[in-house]
Amino acid sequence: MEAKKTKAGDWRSYQRVLLPPVKDLHKLDVYENNEGYKALREVLTTAKWDPTSVTNEVKKSGLKGRGGAGFPTGLKWSFMPPVDPNIPRFLCCNGDESEPGTFKDRQLMEYNPHLVFEGMLIASYAMSIKTGYLYIRGEFADWITLMEEELEKAYAKGYVGKNIMGSDFSCDIVIHKGAGAYICGEESSLMSSLEGQRAYPRVKPPFPAQKGVWGYPTTINNVETLACAPLIINKGGEWFSKIGAPSHPGPVLYGISGHVNRPGVFEYPTGMLITDLIDEVAGGMRGGKKLKALIPGGSSTPILRADMIEGVTMDADSLRDAGSMMGTSGMLIMDEDVDIVSWLRRITHFYHHETCGQCTPCREGTGWLENIVTRLDEGNGQLRDLDILLDLCTQMEGRTVCALADAAAWPVRYTIDRFRSEFEAKCSTDSVPGGGVLETA
Amino acid sequence: MGDFIKHPFVDMPDRNPEQVIPNDSLMFTSEEKTQIQTWISRYPTADGAVMRGLWLAQEKFGFLPPEVIKLVAEEIGIPYANAYGVATFYTQYFKEKKGKHVLDICTCFSCQLCGGYDMLHYVEEKLGVHSGETTEDGMFTIQEAECLGACGSAPMLQITNGVFVHNLNKDKIDALLDALREGNVPAFTSVTLPQDEDDLGGNRRTDVTSVESYIVPPVSETLS
Repeated sequence: MEAKKTKAGDWRSYQRVLLPPVKDLHKLDVYENNEGYKALREVLTTAKWDPTSVTNEVKKSGLKGRGGAGFPTGLKWSFMPPVDPNIPRFLCCNGDESEPGTFKDRQLMEYNPHLVFEGMLIASYAMSIKTGYLYIRGEFADWITLMEEELEKAYAKGYVGKNIMGSDFSCDIVIHKGAGAYICGEESSLMSSLEGQRAYPRVKPPFPAQKGVWGYPTTINNVETLACAPLIINKGGEWFSKIGAPSHPGPVLYGISGHVNRPGVFEYPTGMLITDLIDEVAGGMRGGKKLKALIPGGSSTPILRADMIEGVTMDADSLRDAGSMMGTSGMLIMDEDVDIVSWLRRITHFYHHETCGQCTPCREGTGWLENIVTRLDEGNGQLRDLDILLDLCTQMEGRTVCALADAAAWPVRYTIDRFRSEFEAKCSTDSVPGGGVLETA
Repeated sequence: MGDFIKHPFVDMPDRNPEQVIPNDSLMFTSEEKTQIQTWISRYPTADGAVMRGLWLAQEKFGFLPPEVIKLVAEEIGIPYANAYGVATFYTQYFKEKKGKHVLDICTCFSCQLCGGYDMLHYVEEKLGVHSGETTEDGMFTIQEAECLGACGSAPMLQITNGVFVHNLNKDKIDALLDALREGNVPAFTSVTLPQDEDDLGGNRRTDVTSVESYIVPPVSETLS
């Protein structure tokens, strides 16, 4: 067997670019002294750049979305229809960040807000957009205030607004405050929320690039994705494509939580070995305990057992081969003491609470998942409940408007698949009165 | 068929509930109206401003009974049903009166593994009410929250849709409840990045005085 090999190169001497070690980088003057708004100026004032060449540079960089789905960003930008002066176009920056286990965008907004604004402006230029909405979840009230203060300063200096830096490019940025709904992180639901509707996801197609907010062409990108755009302009798509794993390049904010000695948000290249991240970056397992399992990128990515991570790196290909996904790179590390069944019960509770209720398989299915997993956790379940759960997952996956049903079903499916013996150990051997018919909650 | 459904599955909401906010205080000031107009101007249609409008109303009136939602709808110029639909969709809009301080204690999975339920139960015991209830003196409401996006500093809580309190333990909760009773809401706390602790000596925002690190409190030691 091939020895474990990182794709992140010499990551120990990696120089951070999304959150470079500069005091007070959130302040506009400090940001300006550290190449702040340089990329935007270059894009707007030099003949080298036009909207197409910016998009092509992002394509060349190989940047993939950091919000969970990992869709190539440059390709997404090129889906926008040709410019029609009579039809407005919109950019949405998704700062909803509600996926359990994910807490990276919050730190980016706190410590480097102007990089996010600059990224939004460059993306707007590349797609000839005049309004960008930055959707931030309502729980981040303090961060919304911080971002609004900085946005005002950027407006005052003429980086945002009319005729930016004397060019003919004008673009407004509006910060939209959510109010606590996980579903708003889903792109079409985010659009409904922006429009002032109940945040129900919409059927795709039509895709946002054809029919987005208020029916106009729209592109939606994650905060961290857009924050990469100024870096790509400044240092070139080729530089970006050489960071980390070749098929999924770039810097990534790893949010590591759970039973490690040093949790937190870390910036490293993609393609880090999971074992390096746990043992070296996060300081090893708390109390010298053994690793039991981990979630690589938020609650809906399939769980990996400790024996499945040997040689696995944090990039889409390697994680897919290992049987999981990159997701949001919000990693949850679990030690040997974790009761997997009650942990899964909490996840099913989360999805039951957060389903928007639009599609029946999800609205009812998430409730049944929670009911049955709760019954198992309380020791009243039967072996056949495991099969009922798996069947329920099949009934939910791919049968709803958005992917929330899939996101709710996957943790159940893969946790049972990978920890079946623990579920079986909790099953009751007694015969259940009434033939095991479940009561509805 | 008539007797087939014996109980409605969900109690229908009262269509004409008693008004809580008296008519003479049920209005926006001219500054607030200007603010709402500014928000409306930022969206292609007025509907976009409804979430901000509801936030403003909740800050002013404390919660959103039907008459307040109606006021917001009228001010923005959208149907009441739309505003009501939005207000009832999101968990952060309070549809009934809450305590002066609402403690949203996160128990979602990272917090669960780091002692979120221990913290929730400790607060419940200390205040003598369960999650979802308000203390008799109207001071505190406890709520079990879904992921609040601070998993690295788990367990944590949020105070009335505002400040996050990170790295909870028993002592911290004791001190927090005492401070809140005296009306002192803690300041915004910046959680430093581990890499900054190596490169910058910790806090990178010099304008923030309250700073903490990401730590994992050993669960067994947080409760005596």
